[in-house]
Amino acid sequence: MAESNHIPEDVRQAVEGVRPAADIRLVAFSDLAPDGNFGEQFLALADDRLLVFSSDGERPALLKDLPFADVSKVEIETLVGGAALRAVVDGRREDLISFSHAMSDAFGRVRIQLDALIEGKPLPEVDERATRCATCGLFLGEYTRVCPRCLRKGATLRRLLGLTKPYTGRMVLIGSLMVGSIVAGMVPPFLTMLLVDRVLTLGTNYHLVIWLVLGLASAGLAHTGMEIWRNRIAAWLGARISFDIRAQLYERLQWLSMRYYDHHPTGTIISRLTQDANGIQDLLAFALPFLVVNVVTIVAVSVVLLAMNWKLALIAMVPLPILFILVRKLWRLLRRAFHNWWYRMRRFHGLVSDALGRVKVTKAFSQQQSEIGRYQFRNDDLRAAGVYADATAGTFFPLMWLIIGSGSLLVWYFGSMLHMYGGITLGMIVAFLAYLAMVQHPLEFLGHSTQWITRALTAAERVFEVLDAESESEQSRGEVELEEIDGEVEYRNVGFGYEKHQQVLKDISFKVKPGQMLGLVGKSGVGKSTIINLLCRFYDADEGEIFVDGVPLRDVSLWSYRGKLGVVLQEPFLFSGTVAENIAYAKPEATPEDIMAAAKIANAHDFIISKPDGYDEQVGERGNRLSGGEKQRVCIARAILHDPALLILDEATASVDLETEQQIQEAIGRLIEGRTTFAIAHRLSTLRNAHKLLVLDEGRIVESGTHDELRAKKGVYAKLLDIHRRTSMVGAIDG
Amino acid sequence: MDKRQGVQEASSLELRYLDPEEVRVWRGEDGRVYCTIADELTVLTPMFMRSHPLSDLERYLSVRGVEPKERSVAMGKEFGLLRNWHRLDPHSHAIVEAELERRYLYAKVFAILSVRDYSGVQVCEFDTDRGLRQVTLRDVRDNVIYLGRSRVLVTDAEGNRYDIEDVNELDPDSLLRLARIL
Repeated sequence: MAESNHIPEDVRQAVEGVRPAADIRLVAFSDLAPDGNFGEQFLALADDRLLVFSSDGERPALLKDLPFADVSKVEIETLVGGAALRAVVDGRREDLISFSHAMSDAFGRVRIQLDALIEGKPLPEVDERATRCATCGLFLGEYTRVCPRCLRKGATLRRLLGLTKPYTGRMVLIGSLMVGSIVAGMVPPFLTMLLVDRVLTLGTNYHLVIWLVLGLASAGLAHTGMEIWRNRIAAWLGARISFDIRAQLYERLQWLSMRYYDHHPTGTIISRLTQDANGIQDLLAFALPFLVVNVVTIVAVSVVLLAMNWKLALIAMVPLPILFILVRKLWRLLRRAFHNWWYRMRRFHGLVSDALGRVKVTKAFSQQQSEIGRYQFRNDDLRAAGVYADATAGTFFPLMWLIIGSGSLLVWYFGSMLHMYGGITLGMIVAFLAYLAMVQHPLEFLGHSTQWITRALTAAERVFEVLDAESESEQSRGEVELEEIDGEVEYRNVGFGYEKHQQVLKDISFKVKPGQMLGLVGKSGVGKSTIINLLCRFYDADEGEIFVDGVPLRDVSLWSYRGKLGVVLQEPFLFSGTVAENIAYAKPEATPEDIMAAAKIANAHDFIISKPDGYDEQVGERGNRLSGGEKQRVCIARAILHDPALLILDEATASVDLETEQQIQEAIGRLIEGRTTFAIAHRLSTLRNAHKLLVLDEGRIVESGTHDELRAKKGVYAKLLDIHRRTSMVGAIDG
Repeated sequence: MDKRQGVQEASSLELRYLDPEEVRVWRGEDGRVYCTIADELTVLTPMFMRSHPLSDLERYLSVRGVEPKERSVAMGKEFGLLRNWHRLDPHSHAIVEAELERRYLYAKVFAILSVRDYSGVQVCEFDTDRGLRQVTLRDVRDNVIYLGRSRVLVTDAEGNRYDIEDVNELDPDSLLRLARIL
């Protein structure tokens, strides 16, 4: 999309071909040709016409020309694998332009802009969500800004090394031990050379043997000792840095805004905490030290070999580049083969766990034979992948050793020739072979380490992305500290959308007096929970203002405000711990008597006491050892103990039976006394006593009043009541 | 119950299979598509949706329509299912075929021209029945799935779908590149 002064020249020419000197207000390009093939067409709003051009030919061809004044609405029709922008003209829907999912966001913005113009508003600026790399255009999605293609490895590495700053002493020690162990590792071949040349070849100097053997033993011991020491420190350091990163990440995650969580699935966040943090540990504890050790070893050995005999050194090094290239290529093949095997193993596990989990159903429908068939197919698939992976590995390693061995063969051949002509000693040949063996493993490592290091750096960048994300505290620096809240709430012309181009709430205005109960009613997806999300200040309103006790909510200090809120949700959330700990979650200093008093009011005391461990009963992970109604009452007890001035009940009785609902209703009745309460309820009868009901439809308030007023009105609420009454009758009959 | 009522009520109570000879699809003078069922009911802006878009392209088309009072583009009500839409009259058949082509934007992959891996993100170039396309793949092991033994459905990072109808029909280089993707 572009403003008229950024219109490409060919587009301008095309538009002016049909509308001379037109004011081009917006242009949007599709990635599909009119016939559905990948190609290009574009939509332009020029003067008062909506124009669509195909731009696949030499000159753009006009496909559609609609008077914009006739368009009453613009819609996006979701197709399979793409979508189409359509205009509603005289009640008819007219296809304008099709596009693939790649362009969905862009056309979402076009729809908003066109709709705004239809409503007579000025062309709005619509936030463009960056889903592509700004540098190379690679699609990144919404969940990351890290482009693996453009990753600046140097900068990431520097920042990563910054994490080791608190441990500089240990890093220096690791570096010193590394150098020491390399030097110690280079001593034995030299001593071996002396042993061969000065003792074994001459057959004299027997007194030297003891010193040389002692030297070999000392070098071996020093090398091993320093390696052990270095490895132990590296292991400590790696774990410590990983610990630090996970701690920083977790702390950051607690303060990140809800918008961040909306755009980052839980699985992605967990993988930041686990896989990415481990990737960094691997890099710092293993990959980087290995890299340094191996590079230094290769350089040091090369220098020594060249110094001993440069001609033989060059000959010995001939296979090394081949080894390096081969390892790089074959390692990729090997990795792919094992990944493939691992993927099939995962699918195989999925099949088995799925099949065993539904064994009763399988038997009930006599499907054992088909299950065996499915299993055999996956098993065969896994077998083939295993054979390929093992066969590849079985070919890779012998080939590698052959090439490694070829270096030794060259040394034997040319070394022997030189020896015969008196160029070098026998000891030197032996030392050459030993030094050569020292660089073969480092070369092998270097061959496949690039990808390992790149992956770890990408992981590090993803971790930094979370650490750098804007936190709630940064977004919500309200100045006003609320000591006490009376509970007056006012929404004034509030508009909001989770995505800026999709408004969920439109022009919402209402006022609730302190201590009143407000019921929110409407079908799913009409914006009831969104009103509550704004009250909790999980999000800030895009338009209008929310006031609490007359103070604009965005000026209120988040921490002082949230402490005055109490929430009971449809899905009661308990954490692993005792019943008492769960009730006292928001008030850890509560006494056992406070906790029991709250539980009593919440109709929870009796069931808690009847548990073997009473208030010390472990509720299990997510409270799974309690029933739905029990969990809900523990949550209500939690809210009672918290004693909030503002209470939010979001479908608190949606998933319980009638008897439990009655108990919960009683508990809620006691809870809401004297508190401003916002309630969403699936069962409309539970809102009968609300001071005011707001009926929502498509993000707007369509009716408001008391239960009796709205019932008498015979509007949307009355219709919902009727549906509810009929459903309850069916439920009662079924029950 | 008159015929028109029967057509409408079938959508809420039971599946109604339409006789292709009773269904007529045509383009009106205003350029829009109409569909008449049993000469009784004209569906405005009909939508033709495959019930089995991956496993059976040729059978079971759901004929749906948007009611004029509906404000958003929903799926609309189902007015019936066509078991064999190829038995529609040639004119209707051509329009339905074009509508299906418009709705189902799958691309059939003929060849995989290149694959480049950037730390687990793969950028590939596909030669498809809709032309050449550069696609970005993430989490390939979840987004590249085998349907049966030789058919592969690829979903790219943006949600676009690519169908390799038979991997055995790919040229050896493409097959090798597919193995790299997997």
